[in-house]
Amino acid sequence: MRRMFRPMIMSNLIRSCSRATHPIDRTIPSSPSSKIVRLFSTEMEPQLSPDLIKIMDQRLSAIEHRNAILQRLINQPEYSQEEFSRANKELRKLRDSMELITALRAIQKEIDGLKTLVSESSDDKDMLDMAVSELDEAVEEEKRLQTLLLKSLLPKDEADERDCILEVRAGTGGEEASLFAMDIFRMYERYSQKKGWKFDIVDITESDMKGYKEASAAICGASVYGKLKFESGIHRVQRIPITEKSGRIHTSAVSVAILPQADEVDVQLRNEDLRIDTYRSGGCGGQHANTTNSAVRIIHHPTGIMVSIQDERSQHMNKAKALKVLCAKLYEIERLRLQSSRSKLRSEQIGSGDRSGRIRTYNFPQGRVTDHRVGITHHAIEDMMEGENLDTFIDALLLRQEMDAIASFSSTS
Amino acid sequence: MIRSFRFTSLLSAAKPLRSFACSSSPAIEPPQCSSSSSISLRITHPKTPLFLRAPSHAAPLSEVWKWHGWAKDLASSVDDNSSPEDEDSLDSILLLRELKWLIEDSIEASDHHHPVIITGTETPRGDDGEKKSVKLRASLEELYDLWRQRIEKRRPFQYVVGCEHWRDLVLCVEEGVLIPRPETELVVDMVEEVVRGDEWFKRGVWADLGTGSGAIAIGVARVLGGCGRVIATDLSHVAIAVAGNNVRRYGLEGMVEVREGSWFEPLKDVEGKLVGLVSNPPYIPSDDIPGLQAEVGRHEPRLALDGGVDGTDSLLHLCDGASRMLTSGGFFAFETNGEKQSKMIVDYMTSNLKDSFSGVKIVSDFAGIGRFVTGFRL
Ligand SMILES: C[S@@+](CC[C@H](N)C(=O)[O-])C[C@H]1O[C@@H](n2cnc3c(N)ncnc32)[C@H](O)[C@@H]1O
Repeated sequence: MRRMFRPMIMSNLIRSCSRATHPIDRTIPSSPSSKIVRLFSTEMEPQLSPDLIKIMDQRLSAIEHRNAILQRLINQPEYSQEEFSRANKELRKLRDSMELITALRAIQKEIDGLKTLVSESSDDKDMLDMAVSELDEAVEEEKRLQTLLLKSLLPKDEADERDCILEVRAGTGGEEASLFAMDIFRMYERYSQKKGWKFDIVDITESDMKGYKEASAAICGASVYGKLKFESGIHRVQRIPITEKSGRIHTSAVSVAILPQADEVDVQLRNEDLRIDTYRSGGCGGQHANTTNSAVRIIHHPTGIMVSIQDERSQHMNKAKALKVLCAKLYEIERLRLQSSRSKLRSEQIGSGDRSGRIRTYNFPQGRVTDHRVGITHHAIEDMMEGENLDTFIDALLLRQEMDAIASFSSTS
Repeated sequence: MIRSFRFTSLLSAAKPLRSFACSSSPAIEPPQCSSSSSISLRITHPKTPLFLRAPSHAAPLSEVWKWHGWAKDLASSVDDNSSPEDEDSLDSILLLRELKWLIEDSIEASDHHHPVIITGTETPRGDDGEKKSVKLRASLEELYDLWRQRIEKRRPFQYVVGCEHWRDLVLCVEEGVLIPRPETELVVDMVEEVVRGDEWFKRGVWADLGTGSGAIAIGVARVLGGCGRVIATDLSHVAIAVAGNNVRRYGLEGMVEVREGSWFEPLKDVEGKLVGLVSNPPYIPSDDIPGLQAEVGRHEPRLALDGGVDGTDSLLHLCDGASRMLTSGGFFAFETNGEKQSKMIVDYMTSNLKDSFSGVKIVSDFAGIGRFVTGFRL
């Protein structure tokens, strides 16, 4: 009997260790599993059906098998440098999954041991209780690992990890739409601050009443695009505009676009394709002119995209910002092209790709915000505008994305 | 709710640490110039730009609001007072943007009163405006005065706030020093390109002649990234002081050496050794000086602008010097008055100095004007 104690204590240790590191992991961006956890940090977890587990187990065996082959391969000296490094690269990709698989196999072994213990200790009440509770915990842990593994096996959008560009544009509704565009823009600013993200205004075009006809910002932080991408679409507002004397409720709309950030290498930007214009005072420029106008306009010839930025105080900074926006736009075009050439895509199912779809209604008289895609209504509209509780929607949308991915995972297997 | 606009954050510009900032009290400021060639008895203390001053003034929000309203009206009124065909007139849209920046530089941001509240369209509610006080880096009287100078005296905005945002830098400027131009940012881009192509350029000595505020020298030093050295020269005493101060603010004392003197005169020790030579010398033809835009003609130093009869006096001198000063393979880039001068310089270098240089060419600025001449020492 005594010998059974050791594995139990050890297994306890293993589990408490893995649990203890779990919340800390979330703040360490480099940890592979943490990315997954952070991205899907939601109360609601998908249920793993026996069928799904069976499918997953097949995949896991395949990964283990592949891993073993590669391990053997890189230990054979006769292989060429090229083959070696290719194998090594693949191994690195498998490493995160392998870590989880190893942990899963260990816990499964432990579960077997505990099951035997339970069946053998029916006459020792204390021992039985202890073994049963250990077994419960072990099964929980197995489920946790399986969930993590499943998530790591689901297809990922490479852009999820990226920073993003936010664009808010007043739509129908005139001045009131511009005022709401400003409210929405600032909602994202406050939300970003709460998340500890960097929110850098790129450009603002004001309306007559100091609302925003158009506003854009660069948002930087961990997995910003993955979190915000579902915000793309039409946001509708119903309220009494401050300009309205008769107290009639108006409906107006604002469109939001979230683009993953990209750099000049991502989009293979070529200098020859760009035309950069700056403000010219008409005269000879240079030492002749002193102007604070450092506006920059960039035109990308192949696509005709034009970006102009003027709010920075140096031409260099205006140009840098304009390039950033241009790259994001080109990258998005390329992504959409790739997406449309693939079949049913997750984000399409949820509608993140569709800019024209109405995704949310902000009803001020009733104090509620409704997301039409997940059918969730939130009742503290003021908090929402302060950047609170946006996670209610975001988490639900992420969960839905995950469920869709799981569905296609089991159907393609 | 206060409706207001947010400023594009200053933080995105590479602002140096406060500790490098020039002190607001001249008494505790160390001597400014590290002039090697001439010993001067006058010691010039660079002025502290608004944004680096301590927020030691306070005013009720309502008063700041009043000032802002007045300043806006003054800015908007310029359109009525000028005829559209007048080339040299103020533009109210630009002035309103400058006003935004003036506020950004002179009002301390804090949780309670971010500069944005000043630009809101609503008036302070109730007696809020009386009670709330705003911390300022200049007194309200001074702010009235500064804005009047901007509009009535056509004092350049950069002198008003004491700084110019140039590339990713914020450079101190003041009367007596040319305000760096956006076109000149490209000189640093060209250096960056050359350096990226060949690491050799990183390890050698560079020179920026007629450095003014030190803009090009500091930009180049940052491109060289720690290994190279830049010598910056100027004839103007104020320029030397201001450049030295800017170099210090960016913590580049170890890399950029500021020397006082005329063109190559302070560079005898590095003759034939330079790997790079850059300059934006005065190039405006003397006859054009009286007709310059008010901000330039009335306020910027003539020494920084006047290039002699056809504007090429300094440029030609620099071409001759470049053949002596550069080592084989060394790079040069000069800014010129435009197409005509650039062609003249290229002609001169490819005829009179044809055995000294290769790859001499004209590079355009973003307005499409042939603004720069670049090339390599054979
Ligand atoms: C057009 S400004 C350029 C300043 C600075 N490099 C820039 O781009 O902002 C020309 C500079 O050349 C300086 N300068 C004029 N004559 C000079 C001379 N003989 N020797 C050295 N510098 C001179 C002026 O003082 C002025 O700072």
